Amino acid sequence: MKKKMAWSRNERIFLWMLTPILILFFCFNTLPLIKGFYYGLTNFRGYGNYDFVGLRNFADIFGDARVGKSYLFTFKYAIVMTIAVNVISLILALGLNSNIRGKNALRGVYFVPNILGGLVVGYIFSFIFTYILPAIGEATGSQFLSNSLLASTRWAWVAIVIVGAWQGIAMNTIIYISGLQTVPEEVYEAGMLDGATGWKKFKNITLPLIMPFVSINMVLCMKNAMMVFDQIMALTKGGPSQSTESISYLIYNNGMSGGQFGFQSANAFVFFIVIVAISLFQTKFLGSKEEQL
Amino acid sequence: MKKKKAQALFFTVALAMGLLSVGCGGGDEAAEGKTVIEMVQYKQEAVDVFEEFEKGFNETHDDILLKIDSPNDAMTILKTRFIREDDPDIIGIGGDINYSNFLDAEMLMDISDLDCLADIKQNYLDTNKDLEYVPQEGVYAMPYMANAAGILFNRDMFEEHDWEIPTTWEELLELCETIQSEGILPMYFGFKDSWTCLAPWNAIAVDLCESDLTYKVNSGETKFSEHYAEVAEKEKALLPYAQKNPVAQSYNDACTAFARGESAMYVIGNYAIPQIRSVNPDMNIGSFVFPASSNAEENILNSGNDLMFCVMSTCKNKEAAYEVLRYMQEDESIRTYLDAQSAVPCKKGDFDVVPELEEMREYIENGLVADYQDHHYPSEMAVDAMIQTYLLDDSADATETFMERFDTEWVRYNKDIIAKVKRYEEGE
Amino acid sequence: MNKAKQNEGAVGGKLVNRIILALLIIGCLTILFPLYMTVIIAFKQPSEMTNDVAGALGFPQSWSLSNFAEAMRVTDFWHSLGNSLLLTGATVVICVLLHSLGGYLIGRKMRKLKFFNLAYLYLISGMFVPFAVLMMPLVKQTAQIGIANRFGVIVLYVVFFMPMNVMLYSGYLSNIPEALDEAACVDGAGVWQTFWKIIFPNMKPMHATVAVLTAMSTWNDVMTPLVIMSGTDQNTLPLAQLNFQTQFGTNYNLAFASYLLALLPILIFYIVCQKQIINGVVNGAVK
Repeated sequence: MKKKMAWSRNERIFLWMLTPILILFFCFNTLPLIKGFYYGLTNFRGYGNYDFVGLRNFADIFGDARVGKSYLFTFKYAIVMTIAVNVISLILALGLNSNIRGKNALRGVYFVPNILGGLVVGYIFSFIFTYILPAIGEATGSQFLSNSLLASTRWAWVAIVIVGAWQGIAMNTIIYISGLQTVPEEVYEAGMLDGATGWKKFKNITLPLIMPFVSINMVLCMKNAMMVFDQIMALTKGGPSQSTESISYLIYNNGMSGGQFGFQSANAFVFFIVIVAISLFQTKFLGSKEEQL
Repeated sequence: MKKKKAQALFFTVALAMGLLSVGCGGGDEAAEGKTVIEMVQYKQEAVDVFEEFEKGFNETHDDILLKIDSPNDAMTILKTRFIREDDPDIIGIGGDINYSNFLDAEMLMDISDLDCLADIKQNYLDTNKDLEYVPQEGVYAMPYMANAAGILFNRDMFEEHDWEIPTTWEELLELCETIQSEGILPMYFGFKDSWTCLAPWNAIAVDLCESDLTYKVNSGETKFSEHYAEVAEKEKALLPYAQKNPVAQSYNDACTAFARGESAMYVIGNYAIPQIRSVNPDMNIGSFVFPASSNAEENILNSGNDLMFCVMSTCKNKEAAYEVLRYMQEDESIRTYLDAQSAVPCKKGDFDVVPELEEMREYIENGLVADYQDHHYPSEMAVDAMIQTYLLDDSADATETFMERFDTEWVRYNKDIIAKVKRYEEGE
Repeated sequence: MNKAKQNEGAVGGKLVNRIILALLIIGCLTILFPLYMTVIIAFKQPSEMTNDVAGALGFPQSWSLSNFAEAMRVTDFWHSLGNSLLLTGATVVICVLLHSLGGYLIGRKMRKLKFFNLAYLYLISGMFVPFAVLMMPLVKQTAQIGIANRFGVIVLYVVFFMPMNVMLYSGYLSNIPEALDEAACVDGAGVWQTFWKIIFPNMKPMHATVAVLTAMSTWNDVMTPLVIMSGTDQNTLPLAQLNFQTQFGTNYNLAFASYLLALLPILIFYIVCQKQIINGVVNGAVK
C-alpha cells in the first residue's frame, strides 16, 4: 500500500484503466475456478437441492474406473497425436520447403484442414470410416478394413487420432516451415563443405537450429490434444463401450446431462491440476533441452 | 487527467451496453398480457402432434398462451436449462430415472388436486410410485402415453413363411434357427447407439426379474448378480442371429434396415415405429412380447410410461398449467396423438389398440405389464455402455466380470440413494 | 560434423525435387479426398447412394441444388450464419480493442512495477485453464446474471482469449519505442490518447494476428455455445450441424449438403485472405 502512494500520476491512470480488465478476467476465469472447487465438495446434480459431502468426490475420482479410463485415453491420444503430428509435419515441412515448383499452392492446400471446424470434419470422416473404408475392405477382401474402425473398442481411438492428425498437421507444418526459413543458407553451405548431406545434414544442422520450433509444436499439439472434444462428439460420442471418452467429453456428458454436476466439477478441478503440472513439466523439460543444444 | 480515466471507463461500459442490446434484441414476442405457459417435451418424433396441440390450445384459450418446445436431445437440453435455472412450466418426460431425480431434487409440484387424474388407469400411476427413491406423498406426474417393448416383426414376411409367434424362450430360438435356415437375417441391432442395448435387456429382464428388484438391492436385501446373469446371457445368445457386427450400426441404421426388409425381427419398443415408417410408410409391422422365460405364463409385457407431464415447482400459474393438462387429456387430443404415434393411452376409456400392437392387446388390457428395469438405473452409471462392453467381450468369464462390475458400480453410483433408503427404512 | 564427403550433384538434386513434388501431390489427395467426397455426396439423391464405393464417390446424375435448399431450410442456415458472424465479429472487435489496451497497460509497466508484473503473470496463468474446467460453473454463473445468450458467449470468448492475446500484444510492444509515449506526453496527450493515437495504430501487424487467431477459434468453437445457448433457438453454424445430426442423421445427402454449407464461409474467407491467415497463425504460435 505504501508503494502505491509513491506511484506517479501516470502510473495510477494505468492502474485505473487496467482494473476493469482484471475484474472481468477474475469474474469469468478465476471465480468459476473457485466455484468449481466448491461444487466439487457437494453432491449437486446441477439443479434442485444438494448436500455437502466433503472431499468424497475427490476421493472417488481415484477409484472411479470410468474416470481412470478417460485419463488413460486422453493421455494415450495426446502422446500418439503429438508424436505422429510432429513427425509427419516435419517431413512435410522439409518437402514443402525444398526447391520445388508450385510450392505456395501446395502449402495453401496443406493448410486447409486447419481452418475447418473439428465437428464437421468429424462428421465427414465418420462417413468415411463407417461406409467408405468397409466398402474398400469388402472389395479387397480385407477382414480388418471391412469392420468399421469406429465400432471396434480396440481401434476406435486410432480413428480419432487420424482425424485429429489430419487437422493438426496443417498448423504444425506451417510453423515448421517458418522455422526452416530462419535457417540461413550459409549454414547449409558451410555444412555442405563439411560433407553433411541427407539425414546427417538434417540431424546435425537443421534440427538443432529449429529446436525452438519443435518445442513450440510439441507444446501446442499436446495442449490441443488434451482438450479433444469436437472429434469425439462427432465420431464416437465416447463409444464403443466408453473406450474413447476424453476427459473433456466425460465432464461435459456426465456433468451437464448425467446428473453428476458435483462429481464432475471435482474431476474438472483435478484435470486443471494435471494440465498445470504437464505444462510446467513441458516448459522445464523442453527449456533445458533447448539450452543444451 | 481525470477526464481520461472517465473516458476509459466510459469506453468499457459503452462497449458492454452496446453488446447487451445486441444480446437481448429479438426474442420476446408480445404475449399481450396473456399468461404464458412454456412446455418442453422430450418426444422429438411427436413434434407434429405437439404443434397441433399448441395451435388447438391457443385457438380455444384467450387468456393463456401455450408454447411447446420439442428439441432434439431434449433431456440434455432440459437439464442444461435446469442448471441455468431457466425452468419451463410443464415438462413432458418419460417415467425413468430422470423423473426420480427431478422428484428427489424437489423440482416437481404435487398435482394431486388435478381433477383429470381420476380418469387415468391406476396401474400407470402405480408405476410412477415405484420410481420414487423413497415413498413420497402426493402425485407428481400425469401419465399420458405408455409404450410397449418387445420384438417388432415384419408381418408380411411372417405370413409368407408361415412363422408362428413364439411364446417361450425355446420357441424363440427355434424360430430364429428356422428364419436363418431360409437365408433371412432373423434380427437387426443398432448397438452403435449404446442405449439400444437396453431394449432386449429390459424386455428379457421383466420376464425373469421382479419389478421392485432395485429397491430390494438398495435396501441391501439382494444383489443384482443373483438376478441379472441369466438376462445377460440370454441377450448375448441373440447375437448369432443378428448381422455380423451389430456395434457398427446405429439405431437409425437398424430402423432403416428393418424397414427395408433386411431382417425379419427387431428387438425394440413401439417407439421405433414412426422412425421405421419414415423409411417405409407402408410396412406391415407387428409386435409381440419378448418370451424370455421357458414358462409362457411368466412372460409379461415390458411397458412403461413413455410420456407424462409434470408441473415444475417453480411454475407461477398453476391453474393455467392445469388447464393445459386438461386440454391434453381430452379424448380428442388423445386420439390426435394416437393417430400419429402408435402408443398406448394411459387414460381410461375406449381407445383402439393400434394394429401394430395387436399381439400385445391381451397383456395391455389385463395389466400384465412391468416397467423397464433401466428406469431405475442412474444415467451416469451408463449401464447401456456396460452391456455393450459385455456383448463385445468374448472371453469365457464375461458374465462374471460384467456382474461383478454391475454390483460394484451400482453401489458406487447410488451411494446417496442407498443411504436415503437406509434412513427411510430405519425411520419406519 | 567434420567428415570430408562432397557433392550433391545438380542432376541428382533435380530428380530428388521431382520425387518430393510427386509425393507431396499424392499427399495432397488425402487432404482433398474428404472434401471431394463431401461435394459429391452433397449433390446426390439418396437413391444414388448404393452400398459400394462407386455409389458414394461417383459423380451425381445431375448437379441439382435441391439438397442445399432443403438443408438451408431445415438448419435455418441464414440465422445460424448470422449468429456465427455476429459472435465472431463482435468477439474479434472487442478482443482487438480491449486486449491491445490491456497488453499496452501491462507491457509498459510490468518491468518497472511489481503490481503490473503480477497482473501479467495472473492473466497469463489463465492459459492453463481449459474451458472444460470452467464450463459447469460458467453455465451457472452466466445464467444467474442473465447472460446465458449470445452476449454471454461473447463475454466468455473475450475473457478466454485474453491471456494469449495480452501476451501477444505486450510482447509486441517492445517493437514500439517508449520514446513515442514520452513524445506524446510532452505534446500534452494523456494515457488514453497516447494509446489510441500512437500505440494502437503502431500495433497493426499484431492486430491482424490476433484477429485471425481469435476469429478462427471463435468460428469453429462448439463447446461454448453448446453449453451456454442450447435450447434457446440460437444456433451457430457448427451447433446447427450438431442438432441436424441428431435429427436427420441418416439422410447423408442432406447432411453433407449442410456440412458443405457450414464449411463454405470459412473456405471462401481462407481463399481470399490466405496469406494473412497463415502469417497470423505462425506469428501467434512463434511469438
